[in-house]
Formats: sequence, structure tokens, C-alpha cells
Amino acid sequence: MTGAVTITIANRGGASFLVDPKKPLLASLEAQGVSLPYGCKYGGCITCAAKLLHGEIDQQAAVALNNKQLRDGYVLLCVARPKSDCTLDVGVDSHDKLYRNPFAEPLKQDELKADIATQPEETR
Amino acid sequence: MPDECCGPGYASPAAAMQAPREKLLYTIAIYVGTGIEKPDYLATIDADPDSATYSKVISRLEMPGIGDELHHMGWNACSSCHDDAEMERKFLIVPGVRSSNLHIVDCATDPRNPKLHKIIDGAEIKAATNLSAPHTVHCLRSDIIISMLGDAQGNPPGGFLHLDKDFNILGRWENDLGGMKFNYDFWYQPRHNVMVSSEWAGPNTFMPGFDLEEVGHLKYGRELHFWDFEKKAVKETFYLGEDGLVPLEVRFHHDPDSSHGFVGAALSSNIIHWWKDDGDWKWEKVIDVSNEKHPEWPIPLPGMITVILLSMDDKYLYFCNWLHGDIRQYDISDPHNPVLTGQVWMGGLLGKAPLVNGHKITGGPQMIQLSLDGKRLYVTTSLFSTWDNQFYPEIRENGGCMVMVNCDTENGGMDIDEDFFVDFGKEPNGPSRCHETRYPGGDCTSDIFL
Repeated sequence: MTGAVTITIANRGGASFLVDPKKPLLASLEAQGVSLPYGCKYGGCITCAAKLLHGEIDQQAAVALNNKQLRDGYVLLCVARPKSDCTLDVGVDSHDKLYRNPFAEPLKQDELKADIATQPEETR
Repeated sequence: MPDECCGPGYASPAAAMQAPREKLLYTIAIYVGTGIEKPDYLATIDADPDSATYSKVISRLEMPGIGDELHHMGWNACSSCHDDAEMERKFLIVPGVRSSNLHIVDCATDPRNPKLHKIIDGAEIKAATNLSAPHTVHCLRSDIIISMLGDAQGNPPGGFLHLDKDFNILGRWENDLGGMKFNYDFWYQPRHNVMVSSEWAGPNTFMPGFDLEEVGHLKYGRELHFWDFEKKAVKETFYLGEDGLVPLEVRFHHDPDSSHGFVGAALSSNIIHWWKDDGDWKWEKVIDVSNEKHPEWPIPLPGMITVILLSMDDKYLYFCNWLHGDIRQYDISDPHNPVLTGQVWMGGLLGKAPLVNGHKITGGPQMIQLSLDGKRLYVTTSLFSTWDNQFYPEIRENGGCMVMVNCDTENGGMDIDEDFFVDFGKEPNGPSRCHETRYPGGDCTSDIFL
């Protein structure tokens, strides 16, 4: 495989896999026998969310993540393509910061999804 | 009175109320979002109190794939086909909201052990109609229509999928969405040539979970649409505003002559009533559930009315406050002036009923289904995987559950049954979560009378 990158899954014993960077990680990893959660397969839900610990990912189609989730390192494996070797935590064990009760912890304006987020006053 | 007709369902709501008691329940159960990599499934529950397996799951039909998020479902035929001897209430159409797959399940050949008959692939639906995220299923005589909440990319407003009785895709049902911004539930009342549809949000908004701030950014619905049913076109739209944020379940009176109906506005936690007055559709807010202050949270907690239903005789309206934890019964004999007649508590975030009859309740009262005679209300606790994970994260370990509430149809009042409890935390593949329930003979949210 030309230009293959190595994906390491930290919370599954550090297992590593060579994948094609042009393909979404969910498809690549499932093809190599990794059992992962998923739902919509187009970046619109967060069932397949994983946490990126090291490396770089292209996930332009991941419209379901808000800026807070992005800052916390979440990637949607169904549309994420690796731009380098990456280390990930996968599955619901990686979802400690993914879910939030909005009445207990409301989002700040700059933490919303990209299409509606605004910068805080002081940095405008 | 013997029923002379030979099609499915019943001649009238009054006839439906005389039907034999439900002995089996079909409930969907999900593993999406739980961490258990297993398919969602249709659970069959024994509801016959004389049976040895009463209040137990007696069979499980797994879907072929993982990640569907089964949610709502509907019959291929209901009382709207009552005069059609060619039709039979045989198949449940069980959509996956996330996958857009439609599972056609044969519940008639062996009602205790339903079998998969056919699958309509979500990709096929997207390719043919540019629609995704199937939700409510109703039959229209021999046709089937399904509300679809998004386009193929998960953006609103979605539309309506039209299937024939053999489950072939006919295309989009509607001719004109008007200014409809979102889609969710719908119900039709043919004698008034009307369909009413409500608004949740686009799949890309609600599927990842609930961000309160997105309501203010108009990512969630606040309008109600009145359709010319024959023309399949939105005729009039009511802007409900702050009184009607996120209007969900739509229920007309079962009486086909009546123009009265109700919708629950989930976030505003109001019940909106509509009716036709001298040819014009009118609406009003008839119930307002106050927000409650949680001692540790900055934002007051709404009840979150995620379901409503009407008894078959149109006398009682039931709804759940999923976040507060109460189920309410109102006498709506005067639909303009509902009277609270019963209230029970189970689960919820206010800590009022963590235990019910010795059982720990995780989640709050959510989906409800009422027996045709109006006396037994079956209640499940899970709303939607991502929303569960936000509000009730411990449901991952504990699973959902189903309870039965006995309803006094004479004087009003409710109490939670001590003998019926289905614990989905103890399922063979691990804790799952249950949502909508239906019975083989039809129920209070499945049948429409022509």
C-alpha cells in the first residue's frame, strides 16, 4: 500500500494497523477485523466517535461534532482520514468527554458547532 | 356486536375498545451507543398475566446489521384498511434512524417469534428519494407513508417516503412541503382532509445529542404544519414560538369526525391543542409544565415532554416528563380545559422516584403505549442513544426497563403495577434500552379510522 500510515489503538492493548490514508478509518479498521461502533456512516451522528491522542486527521465531513468535542480530540471514524500515523482511543470507553448534560454544563458561544459558533467578545 | 367486516383493525374506536386484551408486546431494544457491538433487536414480551413467562422477554429478533438505532415502528395495515379483505395486519415496519434501513418484520406467522421478511436498504432509499432518517410509519389504506427527517446528507427538512403495500419504494409522498423547515411526527384525519406534521430537527443536529444553544440558533423546530391531505401539500403553518419549542408527537382524536388534536412541545413542555372553528384551524396552549430548579445546575430543567397519547375513547391524554420523571393523566372531555386526574413518578433527574416497587429506575418515563381498553399503560425509559448518554449516563450499565401503569378509566388516577417489570439491564447480550411498544392487534397510536 503506497503511503500507508500506522494507526495504533491505545485502549485495545496498543494494537496497530497499516491503513490507506485515502480511506475512512472506520472502513479500514473494520476490514482488518476491528469491531467498532457506528451509525450513519456519513459524519452526521457521533456513534463512531473516537479520541485522537496523537497524529493528524482530516474529517471535513464530520458535521456532527461541536467545537468543544473537536477541542477534546474527538474524531468521527466513519469519515476521518489519517494525515499521519495516529494513536486513538476507540469505542464508548473513549467517550468520557463526548456527552454533556446541557442544563448542567451549557456550551459557550465558541464551543458550538462550526456553522453557528462565534468567538468570545474579548478576542474578536 | 360481531364485526361483519373482514379487513384488519376495527370499524370504530368503540369497537377497538372491545377487542381482547393484549397478550404480547413488541418493543424495540437498542445497543447503539451502549458499547456493546451487537445489532438492535425487536423484543417480544409476554403480557398475559396467566402465563408462566408473564412480564418476560420471550423472543428477540436481531436486525442483520449493527448501528441502526431502532426507534419507532408501524404496521403495514391498520383500521384505515378495515373494509379491505385483501389486507392483513401482518408486518411491522421497523426503521433504523441512523442507518435509514427499513426492516419489514412478519409478526403474524408466529406472533410469539417474529421473523425478518425483507429489508429496504437505507442506501436505496437515499438514492431513490434523497431522504434519510425514517421516523413515524402510518398506513393509508394499502399505502404506507413514513416521515423522513433529513435529506441523504442528514440536513433538514426531509420529507415523506411512500411505499406500496408490497414495500416497493414509490418515491416521495408529498407534492409540496411549503415552508416546512423540519420534520418529525404526523397524523391524518381524512374526514377533514387534513394531515398535521410536527418538527424535531435535522438528523445532523439531533443525532449527535442535544445542545440547548442550538435551539436559539433555530436548529430545532417550533412550527406545526396543516396539510391538504388529498393534495399532499402544506396548506397552513402555525408558528408556535416559545410556547411550542420542539413539537413532537402529534395525536388527533381517534373519532374520525373530530377535528381536535394535540401535540407535545418537548422543550417548552407544553401541550398544544388545535381544532377547526367555523372552517378555520385554531391552536392554543392548554397545559404548561413549569421548569424545575436543580440545586446544582445553572439552567432550570424543563419536563421535556417526549411523548403524548390519547385513550381510544378520546377521554384521557397521557404524557411523560422524561427529565422530571412523572407521567400525567389529564381528562380532556373538554379539550380546551384539560384536568389533571393522575400522576405517578419513576426515575427522572429530580430524584423523586429512584426506586419503583423495589426496582431501580434508570432514565425517566419516556415512550408510552396504552391498551385499547385504556386500562394499562406500558412505559419505557430510553429516549435516544445519544440523549440518554447525556442525561442518564448510568443507563449504559443499567439498561432500560418497562413498567406497567394501571389507569382508572372511570374516575381518573394511575398506579404503577407491582407485578409487571421488564428489566432490559439483564438481557443476554448485556444491558439494552427499550423504546416504542406495539401490540399485534393494534394500539392507541397505530390506528386511524376513515
